[in-house]
Amino acid sequence: MKFQDAIKKSIKSFMNGKTPEAVGEVEDEGLYHTPEYFDEMEKDILGDLKDKESVDEDV
Amino acid sequence: MKMFNAPVAGANYAADTKNYAWHRPPDIVNYDEAVDYLINKLKEPEQLELVFSLLKIDTQISTVVSSILMQSISRGKFSIDLGILIAGPLARYISIIADEQDIKYDMGVSDKDRISITPTTLKMALGFIDNDKESPSLEQPVETPLVSPESGLMGAPIENGEASMDEQAKMLGMIEEEEPENGLA
Repeated sequence: MKFQDAIKKSIKSFMNGKTPEAVGEVEDEGLYHTPEYFDEMEKDILGDLKDKESVDEDV
Repeated sequence: MKMFNAPVAGANYAADTKNYAWHRPPDIVNYDEAVDYLINKLKEPEQLELVFSLLKIDTQISTVVSSILMQSISRGKFSIDLGILIAGPLARYISIIADEQDIKYDMGVSDKDRISITPTTLKMALGFIDNDKESPSLEQPVETPLVSPESGLMGAPIENGEASMDEQAKMLGMIEEEEPENGLA
């Protein structure tokens, strides 16, 4: 498998909600950058944008 | 004694002298630390401009991610294995900031280039398709006989494979060629 193919496979797995389990087991507090963390980040960033747009429309 | 004039395997990890970055132990070995490092790096204006420009010229996110990872791996920031593990979070982060800037992107992980396996394609691959049901596009092309050139370097060889007596004599220099009339050799 080429490096590029491994990257694609890794991205696909992460987008399907999978995280490296073995790495998470080694860490005491588990993994921090999980798919849920990025979902929250997306909500924060894009939510703020939507709020701003709605305020602009009102003005 | 040249045979023993070589480093011991793994000596690069203990050497004080500078060698390639990927020969030394990586700077970051923790998953979250590596993701943090790349997210912070992507917050730099130059990096951000580069990523947005790449996405605007229809570069797939997987390609952008792999080039960023290759750069960090070549500088010895983290190992190739860790780089592959953090590709997912990095791609997700890039997709979020692209959405923020309203840039359309392609993740580059879809299977649209893959040829789907159907009973027909399987039969075709195994050669089980009946001649009666065969579609016109699958017909064997009619072979046209090749016309070989009669003269020149690629000309057809003589039937019995031998040159004529005159040609042989000419090749051996037994027959003198005509000299040019103007006397130039």
